[in-house]
Amino acid sequence: MRYYETIYIVNPNLENEVLDKTMVEIGKELDKTKSKLINHRVWGKKRLAYPIEKQKYGSFILMQFEGGDQSKMVDFDTWMKLNKSVLRHMIVGLDNKPDVYVEESKKEPGVDKETRPGETASEAEDGRIENNDISTKGAIEPEPEPEDEEKDNTALETVEKEAE
Amino acid sequence: MAFQNRNKFCYFKENGIHDIDYKDVKLLRRFVNDQGKIMPRRITGTSAKMHRKLVRAIKRARSIALMPYVERGTE
Repeated sequence: MRYYETIYIVNPNLENEVLDKTMVEIGKELDKTKSKLINHRVWGKKRLAYPIEKQKYGSFILMQFEGGDQSKMVDFDTWMKLNKSVLRHMIVGLDNKPDVYVEESKKEPGVDKETRPGETASEAEDGRIENNDISTKGAIEPEPEPEDEEKDNTALETVEKEAE
Repeated sequence: MAFQNRNKFCYFKENGIHDIDYKDVKLLRRFVNDQGKIMPRRITGTSAKMHRKLVRAIKRARSIALMPYVERGTE
């Protein structure tokens, strides 16, 4: 059996409900090809390398499945192309059977870039909690923490000065 | 720069990478110049087999807007 992966980009401004709806819709359309869906998940909002339909950002959604009816895959491809909520899509054959994705606090490089230091204190706290969970990564990560604390301290100091 | 080393070696063979995922933009970025052009094998030292896989991955990443087709060199 052949395995495939489809990645598609949808408008990032869609609300979660609408996004879920489109995902379900696309899943249903894929069912018509008698394919077995293995993974269907949101990969994350990312900055596009070049604008597509005047959008600078896009929500990337990843779908992995076991191939069904080959002739109907063409229909699925055209349907995706005509679907207006999908900015861009790509179907790729996989060499190996994909693993079933289990949700974890997986670090996404795209997200890291977006969260610049000094945005909010709560995010720094989240990072610390993750460090506790993943003790193996702790060896690398403690370094940036003191900086954050320093920044927090400086922020506090400025607040105090303003209060005075 | 990563490729100034005189002794060229295949990055993928050294690190035991057999498949290149087009979604791994961080890795692919190493093999394009600041204009977004794919660097020649002559410079990167990548083996012929892996270079073919690399090129395919980069082109896939481009088509799904993870990597640019063209980029301004000075930014």
